Amino acid sequence: MIQFLLRRLMAAGLVLLVVATLIFLFVRLVPGDPAVALLGSGATNAQIQALRQQLGLDRTLPEQFATYLGGLLRGDLGASLRTNRPVAQELLQRLPATIELTVAALVSAIVVGIPIGLWSAYAANRLADHVIRIVSLVAVSAPVFWLALFAQVIFSVQLNLLPVSARLDPLLKAPAGTGFLLIDALAAGDMQVFGSALSHLVLPAGVLAAYLAAVIARMVRASTISEIRQDYARTARAKGLSRLGMVLKHALPNALLPAITLIGLKVAELLGGAILTETVFSWPGIGRYMFEAITNRDYPVIQGATLLFASGFILSSMAVDALYGALNPRIRAGRG
Amino acid sequence: MAALRRFLLRLTRRPLALLALLLLVAIAAAVIAAPSLTPYSPTKIDIAHKLSPPDDAHALGTDNFGRDLLSRIAFGGRSTLLIGVLVVALAFAAGVPIGVVSGTLGGTVDAILMRVVDAWLSFPGLVMAILLAAILGAGLQNAMFAVALTYIPQFARMARGQALAVRAQPFIEASQALGMSLPRLMVRHIFPNSLTPLLVQASLLIGSAILQTASLGFLGLGAQPPLPEWGADVASNTEFLREAAWVAIYPGLAILLTVLGFNLLGDAIVDWLDPRRD
Repeated sequence: MIQFLLRRLMAAGLVLLVVATLIFLFVRLVPGDPAVALLGSGATNAQIQALRQQLGLDRTLPEQFATYLGGLLRGDLGASLRTNRPVAQELLQRLPATIELTVAALVSAIVVGIPIGLWSAYAANRLADHVIRIVSLVAVSAPVFWLALFAQVIFSVQLNLLPVSARLDPLLKAPAGTGFLLIDALAAGDMQVFGSALSHLVLPAGVLAAYLAAVIARMVRASTISEIRQDYARTARAKGLSRLGMVLKHALPNALLPAITLIGLKVAELLGGAILTETVFSWPGIGRYMFEAITNRDYPVIQGATLLFASGFILSSMAVDALYGALNPRIRAGRG
Repeated sequence: MAALRRFLLRLTRRPLALLALLLLVAIAAAVIAAPSLTPYSPTKIDIAHKLSPPDDAHALGTDNFGRDLLSRIAFGGRSTLLIGVLVVALAFAAGVPIGVVSGTLGGTVDAILMRVVDAWLSFPGLVMAILLAAILGAGLQNAMFAVALTYIPQFARMARGQALAVRAQPFIEASQALGMSLPRLMVRHIFPNSLTPLLVQASLLIGSAILQTASLGFLGLGAQPPLPEWGADVASNTEFLREAAWVAIYPGLAILLTVLGFNLLGDAIVDWLDPRRD
């Protein structure tokens, strides 16, 4: 198992290197001079030259690449063009907020999606199944940013149940610590902050989870139905197991394997969705920071955030691979 | 006529396919009839009537500049439908040749191409599209190009798999024995025989292409004002949620219904082709 993990880790490192190279090439190979694009048409030649120097654009491509890679290894992602502060530091400071949001969304999507998909398969082609299929298809088709606004209108503006935006009541002070508000509040025993943080988390996490929960439900439904049709399922029924018992005991475990793979792949959508959700809910994480950087054309920040999101995705794919290997020994043997 | 009746009859037994067809036909009709749907221009500013709620004069109300919302949605739909189809066509045209060549030639070419494709796939799609659109500069064309780039590896991967399967069949060996050149083999035999699953995949991606491009529009990287585009229209009206929620909600609803139509269609096609269907 450890050897399997190490091999995965090395492969992930390699992919990360290629991804970092791609990002570098994208930014450099696009027609036009980024410095000119950044400063706009009114800039003087001297200004452009100064910015080119600051961005390192006046050196050759291999030189730039060497500096870029060297920086990456030291955890240096350059400085924000707007604030001049190190990008890595700014990202790190916002990372806990994004992790809190995406993990909350991921967990809710799994907790909601799997039972719903199972129910849909169990009631296949009956009313409950049709309703679930249509609702999940709507959830898959809805733009995340629109769903976020819609949720704000309903739950905050109309019903006044939940806060519209931000991560914490502005009158409260976040306790120092890890940056994960829920954990910090619990550690400090501050239930008021914990409650406020939780109520601020519900809407963004729910909106972000909706798409993934629907995708999981659809997948679990499809794979459970195809398992129910297998011979072993009929045998289990013939041996006197109830339909529900057969589905839960035999079909579900087999149906979960493809669902796990899918969840791993869909983390990508979750990260993309986080940018939109954070923007709508003014959630102070990486996504919102990236949105601000887009508005300000702050390339080093956009580049750094992209790299961070891609690394997050690669790491989560690795985790899913490991989980898959643990659940399905055939995979480990097959790849050895 | 009889064939058409048989087709329609079969359709009524597939409610999802029927719903998809109705939705898409209705949207297409509204978009084509856009100029006669409302007397207002989508870009005509009328500050005196800004943010007016839906009424007889403006069926869906007006936005912050007093522009007729129905007109903006109907005209915005023109770009949206075009976006969905063009983005997928672009990715198809770039990705499929990569996959067919990779799968047919095999060896080192295949190994190198597929490693690049793998790295490409390990970018979260929207994040990559944002990076590309931000570098290329805001604008609808660049946004579409950026989204298309994120779909290329999916087509390449799939086309490669198909090409590998087709390549293993005896008639390919026969053609080669008869002296058919590799390029001709790819164009005449491997590509046509790989087409069905690739087209299904393309139909499944249209909805997602619309969503991604609208997301870029929402972030300000897509269509620029005053061009009507649904994603950008949602974004430009978010600040009026309290007094006039409809101006942000309706364009988003239009996205939802269109994407739903394409997703239902994709589902129906997959169902249709499923050999196990009863």
